[in-house]
Amino acid sequence: MNSCFLNGLRSASWIAGLLLMAGTEILLAQPSAATDKHVAFIEYPDFPEAHSTWGSIGYNAASNTVHIGVTNHRNNVALYTFDPAKNTMKQNGFIREMANLRAFQWQGKIHSKIVASPEGSIYFTTDGGESREEYLMEHPQGYAGGFFMKWDAKTGDLKNLGLGMQYESLKDIDIDPKTGTLYGITYPQAHFLVYDPAKNNLRDMGRLASSHVPRVLFTDWWGNCYYVDWRQRLVKYEKDSDSLVFARESLPAFEGTPGSKIITGVTAYAKDEAKGIIYLVTYGAKVIAFHPQKEGIGKVEDLGGVIDTGEGAAWGPYVPNLNIGNNGKLYYVIGGHGNYVLKDKTVLVELDPATKKKTILREYPITTMTEATGSDIKDKDGNMYFAGRRVISVKDDSSAPFLIKFNPEKDIRK
Amino acid sequence: MKSLTKKILLPVLSLACSGPLLAQYTFFTPKDAFAIEISLPNSAEKRLPMYRNAITSLYVDGDRVLGGTTAKEGLSPYLFIASISKRTLATTKDLQEAVPGQKSIATGFCKGTGNQLYAGTLAHLKNNQQTGHLLQIRIGNGDAIEVKDLGTPVPGEGIFTLLSNSQGTELYGISYPGGRFFTYNIASGKVQLFDEISPKAEELKNLHDFASEPGGYLCKALVQDSQGLVYGSAPGNRMFAFDPAKKRFEFLKTPLPSVWGREVLGQVEAWAKAPDGKLYGGNAGDGQLFVLDPATKKIKNLGKPVMMNRLRALAFGRDGKLYGLAGGAPGYSHLFYYDEKGAGFVDLGNPEFKMVEPGIEQGILWRGFQLSTLTASADGKYMVMGEDEALSQLMIFPVAE
Repeated sequence: MNSCFLNGLRSASWIAGLLLMAGTEILLAQPSAATDKHVAFIEYPDFPEAHSTWGSIGYNAASNTVHIGVTNHRNNVALYTFDPAKNTMKQNGFIREMANLRAFQWQGKIHSKIVASPEGSIYFTTDGGESREEYLMEHPQGYAGGFFMKWDAKTGDLKNLGLGMQYESLKDIDIDPKTGTLYGITYPQAHFLVYDPAKNNLRDMGRLASSHVPRVLFTDWWGNCYYVDWRQRLVKYEKDSDSLVFARESLPAFEGTPGSKIITGVTAYAKDEAKGIIYLVTYGAKVIAFHPQKEGIGKVEDLGGVIDTGEGAAWGPYVPNLNIGNNGKLYYVIGGHGNYVLKDKTVLVELDPATKKKTILREYPITTMTEATGSDIKDKDGNMYFAGRRVISVKDDSSAPFLIKFNPEKDIRK
Repeated sequence: MKSLTKKILLPVLSLACSGPLLAQYTFFTPKDAFAIEISLPNSAEKRLPMYRNAITSLYVDGDRVLGGTTAKEGLSPYLFIASISKRTLATTKDLQEAVPGQKSIATGFCKGTGNQLYAGTLAHLKNNQQTGHLLQIRIGNGDAIEVKDLGTPVPGEGIFTLLSNSQGTELYGISYPGGRFFTYNIASGKVQLFDEISPKAEELKNLHDFASEPGGYLCKALVQDSQGLVYGSAPGNRMFAFDPAKKRFEFLKTPLPSVWGREVLGQVEAWAKAPDGKLYGGNAGDGQLFVLDPATKKIKNLGKPVMMNRLRALAFGRDGKLYGLAGGAPGYSHLFYYDEKGAGFVDLGNPEFKMVEPGIEQGILWRGFQLSTLTASADGKYMVMGEDEALSQLMIFPVAE
């Protein structure tokens, strides 16, 4: 993976980046043609070589802010804060400098979501994100491993909480808000980690996946954490019993779903705590209503596919994102990694869990929005967020990241 | 100025570079290779439970693969049988039922007379003792696993290493953690203990200085040459030969191959006997493959298949190549072969085989990261590998003729 950008469009973006360098906090630029009163695309300032975001987004309820990790997809990662009240996007610095990382501790990106503690600190993990991560290891150009990190939103201090596993990336993180216990999943060996930062106690619960690492961890409101095994069965770290509990049955899948989709598991989630439901999307394009229980695995409800186009395999669409509106409806963007349900277009879909009706709300050329990631990011006014990316050139794999702000019921320009 | 450098100079320098890096996402996936799901919690299928399934001993008897496992602290290991032709787990046996308090079956299986196999165990620490047991194992009707407890050859110690002689009448072993060599006469049950290769006080201090534990310095594998001499390693990078007839030890003049300053890491952890009688060994310390010529008792360093330490298993295939497992945590195991007459070392990397089981009939791919054991069928047609994971599986591939 290389992140050098040489075509005209990217150069224009780069020049724009230089023009923006004077400030570290900007008011939003004029909306692009793809935006409207319900959707805004928000650029990241002060990072001309910004390439992408990879699910590296989260909401901080204590400060009503959205946090995003933006990478050049090589060795530099910036931490951003979007403040909905001020309508500002601010770059807080680069993690390699804030965390005093040495050159041999290079990090390719933040691949994890960003989670917040009740008092307002945010946590994330880092990822190699490069082929050399997986194979060079002890070689001088190898990858030291991914770190757990904590950022104090009040002081701006970034604290390095240490490695997960030597040579391994950390693909995702979640937090038990009651105890502060962090959960992590490593790449490529898919070891499930339980980390108590207060005691610096890191425990490796072992490998849970086959030849692919499902990217998503999620927690319930009791602080239990969930993952999937290679059969796409839910695996729950049950905090009270301090043990892993495996579901008896696999999550629903369409008949004929390839094994490569099964082993990839859940791609996104959104929580409706009032109803006691966590909605899940699988790599096999199923939407699922999961009813967690404090003890054991709860009921699983099949809500059908992510879209009904009548064309192509039902398990085919790719949905690495999910949000839930204040209206109780689910919103997600279909498409990415060369997989689109409409030719060369991503689509923003609304799903009403009550009726299972799916509606395409927007269509975007992939030159405008190639892919969106992020789970369950909603501010106090009900605005939802996705981490967007548009490919600039497939040839050199250049792309540009941006934040998507969306509210189906309010004019977000007001 | 610093800000200017960051914001302008670095992006410009970044723009000046281009050219894709080569990704290397290829795996060893030979035709007709497959994985068998051995471990899976909360399943309707017969499977081993979590944390009790690290496959640390393997033996192939025709179509059947006999496995022995290692468990996490406080848990007991299993014995199991899998079928190569049916590609399924056939039988499991919780060792707790036969011999309580054990942690690990990691000696491999040694062949006795008839259908008898032997293995040793490591025990959980109890009353400051780790009393391992010698097991006699027989595969009965319907793939039933019959286990007989032959007791503890070295009082208060476990069995770290075990070998049977070519006649299947005597066993040779090394105890844990004391590192005492013992012989066990199968017919009489008589045990003889020897202290020649046990680490002495000065050696123990040196090992302590290097934070080396018994599992890292005791000889992990023994082998017998065609003349009946038994070879293994002793702390300090030394190699010994034991003559069972004379009950006498000899330390070889050539040590284990080593990296300068790291002799303390020397530990033989695998052997394979070639058809010509030469003995190929693996040194855990720095992962060197070496060959010992019994005629001269000299060791030749053949080099390292990968940068990492460890060389955990060796077995000859029917193609005449020597297959092995190099490296391991904190990196990954690499499957490799050594072709003396051809390419020399060939690193096959991580194997990735298809697993088809009830509920995943379409098949999924299983990648082997932490492979702890490898053994060949008697005809060299199959290579069988076992994982050392929280949920370990078997990976099997046919060797080309």
